[in-house]
Amino acid sequence: MRRVVVTGVGAITPLGEHADALVQALNQGISGVRALETPWVGQLVSPLAAPVTAPVENHFPKLRRLMLDRVAQLSLLATREALGQARMDFHGDAGLECGIFWGTGMGGATTLEQAYVESFLNHAARPRPSTIVMFMANSSTGQIGIEYKIRGPSFTYSSACSSSAVAIGEAFTAIRAGRLRFAVAGGGEALLTLGVMKAWESLQTLAKPDPEHPETSCRPFAKDRSGFILGEGAAALVLEEASSAEARGATILAEIIGYGNTTDASHITQPDAGGQARAMQAALAQAGMGPGDIQHINAHGTGTQVGDISETNAIKQVFGPWAHRIPVSATKALHGHLMGATGAVEMVAALGALRTGIVPPTAHLAQPDPECDLDYVPEGARKLPVLDTVMSNSFGFGGNNAVLVARRYLP
Amino acid sequence: MSSLPVIQKMLVEEFGLSPDQVHPDSKLEELGVDSLATVEFMFMLEDKFKLKMTGEPVPIKTVGDIAREVDAMVAKQGIQLDAGGQGA
Repeated sequence: MRRVVVTGVGAITPLGEHADALVQALNQGISGVRALETPWVGQLVSPLAAPVTAPVENHFPKLRRLMLDRVAQLSLLATREALGQARMDFHGDAGLECGIFWGTGMGGATTLEQAYVESFLNHAARPRPSTIVMFMANSSTGQIGIEYKIRGPSFTYSSACSSSAVAIGEAFTAIRAGRLRFAVAGGGEALLTLGVMKAWESLQTLAKPDPEHPETSCRPFAKDRSGFILGEGAAALVLEEASSAEARGATILAEIIGYGNTTDASHITQPDAGGQARAMQAALAQAGMGPGDIQHINAHGTGTQVGDISETNAIKQVFGPWAHRIPVSATKALHGHLMGATGAVEMVAALGALRTGIVPPTAHLAQPDPECDLDYVPEGARKLPVLDTVMSNSFGFGGNNAVLVARRYLP
Repeated sequence: MSSLPVIQKMLVEEFGLSPDQVHPDSKLEELGVDSLATVEFMFMLEDKFKLKMTGEPVPIKTVGDIAREVDAMVAKQGIQLDAGGQGA
């Protein structure tokens, strides 16, 4: 089996336009949650979301933008950053050896909603001719190929909140098995539209706004948690076979060593600690690691009552006596829940922790919950004496669980 | 009255092309306006001139081709263009 390394990361999130901005903001406890400024915000129960505030559109000429939904724009920007860091250009033959593995929950939600609005309100209206190619789930995947001339196999994953973690895991699997030399892997999401947000409100999983400090409304693992905040963004990793990366003198940021993927097969929304635990165990087994070898977990940690207890129990099930010694961070408190992009964003956060030796806090955890009794790093970012191996958990509606394990690279 | 000046102006405004790029002989493909973008543009023109394209495929390769197609439709559908080339 081949070794798989990360040579580039990119992220455009509610916490900034670059991966470094994300990592720094998380460590400083800065929240990207705010009231949306749109004409329809009054139709929502809560105006809170975690939007990308950077001027995304300005990065693309008008003619190019014509075919790009917001989710594709975010995906292209994250990929651009990752390729830049990896110092990779796929316009030549290398493009034939690179695959695209991209995750998204809803694809071009803005475009689809626009087409519906026009069609329902005006029977004579015709959606724009580009509507289909902008909202289809694989639109970002295809656009990444077009923009960066990546011409190997491409795959689009949609498993709700675990989509981009699955994308990274499957890219890792393909390179590990020798089927590919390079991969761009990650995901994007841009679903802050009226229809989608109202549907989420109906599901009653969104956080109640804190009247005085709305930016602290998402409180994973806290007694007073009430759900998550919808966010948007994208994150990308450049993965490559280790000897190839070394041969071209690439800076190796980390090595991916384990991936577990399981299905709860129990309920479409309710998490199952057993399924989550099996995914963590599978990732550990592939990594050749025991429960004492993981020094940090970026939790799925959405901030729902049921979800956080389930993940806590799953971690205890897998790690036994070590569970209470592992710093577990739920970064969604600050960057929001980026749905199909969230697994990749949190993997970037976990790799940032690996690089800096600092684990980000679980913000807004002032009231502990006796049922969530692990070390969630509530006090603020923490420098660890040893931080060589990290795990990132992503669990999606539908019952999919995807877990990634990475470590500091040693040749 | 030809629709050409309005079409040139719209190509600049909607697609971000520069005015010196959009001559009647300019090839759309060389401007980066592919077939899908051309269809998008024809939809915009229908709204602008309040006309209905026939739906029959016509060979449109240049900026001038677009103007000729619009002018033909305008004439066929009895639409008056004002001095600014706008559909009245």
